[in-house]
Amino acid sequence: MSSLLEKIDHYRRLFADQVTRVKEAREVEELRQAFLGRKKGHLTLLFEEFKTLGPEEKKGAGRQLNELKSEIQNRLAELEQKLQARPRVKQLEDLTLPGRQLYWGAPHPITLFQREIERIFISMGFSVEEGPEIETDYYNFEALNFPPHHPARDSWDTLYINDKLLLRTHTSPVQIRVMEKKKPPIRIIIPGKVFRRETPDPTHLPMFYQVEGLVVDRGITFAHLKGTLEYFIKALFGEKIKLRFRPSFFPFTEPSAEVDIECIVCGGQDAACRVCGGSGWKEILGAGMVDPQVFKNVNIDPEVYSGWAFGLGIDRTAMFAFQIPEIRHFYENDLRFLRQFNRR
Amino acid sequence: MKISYAWLKEFVNLNLPPEELAGCLNQIGLMVESATAAGEDTVFEIETYANRPDTLGHLGVARELATLLDLSLKTRNWPLKELPQATSGMVDINILDPQLCPRYCGLVVKGVKVGPSPDWLKKRLEAVGLRPINNVVDVSNYVCFSLGQPIHTFDLAKLKGSKIKIRKARKGETIRTLEGQTVELEPEMLVIADETTPVAIAGVIGGEESGITESTTDVFIESANFNPVSIRLTAKKLGLSTDASYRFERGADPNAAPTAAVMAASLLCEFGGRVSRGLLDVYPAPRKPRSITLRLRRINELLGLEIEPEFVVKTLTGLGLKLKEQGPQVWTAEIPSYRVDLEREADLVEEVARFYGYDRIPSAITPVKSFELPADRVRDRVWRLKEVLFHHGFDEVINFSFTDPEKEQSWQTGCRPIRLQNPISAKLSALRTSLLPGLVENAVWNFNREAEGVHIFEVGNIYYWEQEETHRENLNLGILTTGLRSGRTWKEAEKETDFYVLKGAVEDICYYLGYDQLSFEPVEHPFFEPGQALRIQVKNEPVGLLGLLNGNLARSYDLERPAYCAEIDLNELLRKQPRAFSFQPVPRYPGTSRDLSFLVEDSLSYQQIQQQLQKLNIPYLENFLIYDRFQGKSLPPGKVSFSVRFYFRHSARTLQTEEVDRAMQEITSQLKSTLKIQLR
Repeated sequence: MSSLLEKIDHYRRLFADQVTRVKEAREVEELRQAFLGRKKGHLTLLFEEFKTLGPEEKKGAGRQLNELKSEIQNRLAELEQKLQARPRVKQLEDLTLPGRQLYWGAPHPITLFQREIERIFISMGFSVEEGPEIETDYYNFEALNFPPHHPARDSWDTLYINDKLLLRTHTSPVQIRVMEKKKPPIRIIIPGKVFRRETPDPTHLPMFYQVEGLVVDRGITFAHLKGTLEYFIKALFGEKIKLRFRPSFFPFTEPSAEVDIECIVCGGQDAACRVCGGSGWKEILGAGMVDPQVFKNVNIDPEVYSGWAFGLGIDRTAMFAFQIPEIRHFYENDLRFLRQFNRR
Repeated sequence: MKISYAWLKEFVNLNLPPEELAGCLNQIGLMVESATAAGEDTVFEIETYANRPDTLGHLGVARELATLLDLSLKTRNWPLKELPQATSGMVDINILDPQLCPRYCGLVVKGVKVGPSPDWLKKRLEAVGLRPINNVVDVSNYVCFSLGQPIHTFDLAKLKGSKIKIRKARKGETIRTLEGQTVELEPEMLVIADETTPVAIAGVIGGEESGITESTTDVFIESANFNPVSIRLTAKKLGLSTDASYRFERGADPNAAPTAAVMAASLLCEFGGRVSRGLLDVYPAPRKPRSITLRLRRINELLGLEIEPEFVVKTLTGLGLKLKEQGPQVWTAEIPSYRVDLEREADLVEEVARFYGYDRIPSAITPVKSFELPADRVRDRVWRLKEVLFHHGFDEVINFSFTDPEKEQSWQTGCRPIRLQNPISAKLSALRTSLLPGLVENAVWNFNREAEGVHIFEVGNIYYWEQEETHRENLNLGILTTGLRSGRTWKEAEKETDFYVLKGAVEDICYYLGYDQLSFEPVEHPFFEPGQALRIQVKNEPVGLLGLLNGNLARSYDLERPAYCAEIDLNELLRKQPRAFSFQPVPRYPGTSRDLSFLVEDSLSYQQIQQQLQKLNIPYLENFLIYDRFQGKSLPPGKVSFSVRFYFRHSARTLQTEEVDRAMQEITSQLKSTLKIQLR
């Protein structure tokens, strides 16, 4: 049996050797158990042996033993800290590979644009109304002050179901339906599908979308019409867009107006511009003060109340805003077209 | 409508550059669509309106410009070289229907030398896009495009007898028109007839036989006024729209008739003509001018500005209205006969606004006095439903409401289609009774254009006859999924869509909209393969269908891949009351779960197992999840394996293992008796 001092030296070398192979926190703990374990740790056993020695032999050995113990403790603590600071996890192989993207379905651009328009008006206190797509001549024309057999009807070329029913040519009949059942103040917009007897071409289709607005109250003026539509158009096309109001004719408004906005495609710079024809202006909506005859038809006294209304083609406006060359794209439902609007 | 700048100058002294003139026309609503220089002239293409027939001649446009620019209209004289004979001795005008022909003027011009027009006249007509024909025809066009009053010229020699009758056509009468087309006249059509036959369709087109030719020497000039509705109905019925009918159906000025006759006669004198003495003017019931009361207060109220009374008077007077002061800032305005559009005070307000300039009217925000809550949440629910579908990777489409009824027939939708009276084409001749045919067409369109998978939906109306006379439009949702799923990455292989992709979307719609009691029942329906469809029910009421598209239908559209589709009645679904949302406390004590795998007869459906599991009455059982279904060679024949995870929780304490063990034993024994399960 070698002396205690030799054993101390042996375990010192053993520890020095084993500690270099430690790679994980678990191995630190194993090493600690091996050397300092309460019952069978190498040093624990040496301390037991130390207790049995005589005073002469204790001399020197005690100091060496304590030194080794604190040396091991320090080294292990140090290692432990180092390993804990950088826990080993599985490494990634190629971080440049693309991530897992999720496909979200695309809203139809008409839905998207309609919602943008609705949002602007809702923020101004308007509510949204809807109405039937199959209408009667009364709601679609007569109540809106289109006399029977008047050429004014030519601009609203109609698809008929029978002598009584037709497909609404505009969203305006909903104005009548709302005014019939509700007393002013009225502050609504009416989005929806409308139908015309149009042969399909790049800018015409037999079905498209409109949004209509109507305000009825005491003291409503043409100035209110202007101010509100100016705000709306700026909200839709940006603060800097230029617009102009010019006189027009609609049977259901008097005075009537059409609103043009500056051509965002050529800015009036291209005499051959496909969008504005070189005029620099693009017609965007029709509007006006509600015709007194329309009020009479729904039993609202035009001497007490006044109102304004407007109508805008959602498809055409979206075409202009997104510079879509053909209205047909909206109803072909080509995914290569539709999916672009996912990013809008 | 083409307007020549040089022609305008015949009526008013204008000297603005053409661009500035275009700006003026735009301001007053005669929108210039294009301006084309033609030599020294400039031709404006202007937009005109159905209620403004007065702007369909250069005089009317000149009057507008004169008013805007504070100029006066020129007075023009039309001297005549007269014959000794009186007109009344040569022709006898008989209006048999004064309702349809309120006024008829006539003059005879003898000895006209028919030939090419002089250059100035040719230039005028060419400027507005008319082809010069001969001096007589050109004069009538020149008068029409000057005054907006159509006139017609007859070869007097070709008229039989001296009587000119303005009467309704007789059954069976025909006329060969100036365009060389023989048309059958109908009894409600107004014609101009000589002693024997119709010689012109009144206000629409003349007859070939009485038309002006090279050999004509004596001309009868007709300048009349016809009932707008009658002219419109006739022109529509005959499919003829002429410069004359276009003006008459908008309402020509009865007082322009004599002026136009004299103007035409005077011009024909330039070509050797001599005019009969005394204009024949039959006007049985002269129209009284309309009067409208106009209040300055009303103008300001409607426009939202303070306008000077002087401006009102100056503008309206310029337009030919006669204003009489009725009281302080109140006038009676007498409307000239050429302004058929001015009927009410509001119409005069528009006139003032037009000339004041819309751009000078201030802008103000429309005041709000109250806000309204939406009447229902259906619109919100429709959007929520779309969001769920976007999330599931479905793209939104919008198809035409029209359909080809022959093609749709094979779908056997069970709805009687609504056909259109005047469709654009056979393919668009009825309204759709289902959204699915459109979605199938969209799938084929996209497969033909590089798509590998199509996952789409549409929210829109279908239409049908509910009963004989009652139509119905119903909001539906159609969903279709076919081909490869979207979202392939280097981590995952491409996946074919399946029935459960569709069903999951439908279930999620109901879940996220709060429609709890969702169930499915097997159903047979012509849309789907036999035995491959389910009826969707909410609160035990049917709301739609889903399944594997019928292969014959798919093939008839050249759709090769299996397609899964659903159609849901949104009126039915969205009018149902969703579960009211209420907050549930977050559990304070941990739950625990146990798995159970068992075999059952493979004739049992998932739904049957689920129903039995729902019936379990076990304390602390919070929920369960069927997470595996397996059928295979390793199992006894006729058996299928299910694995279910049961979740337990006590709201007030942590559960003991023994309690959960007992619960599991209870579950096992109940399922043994109800489902005859064998534990695995």
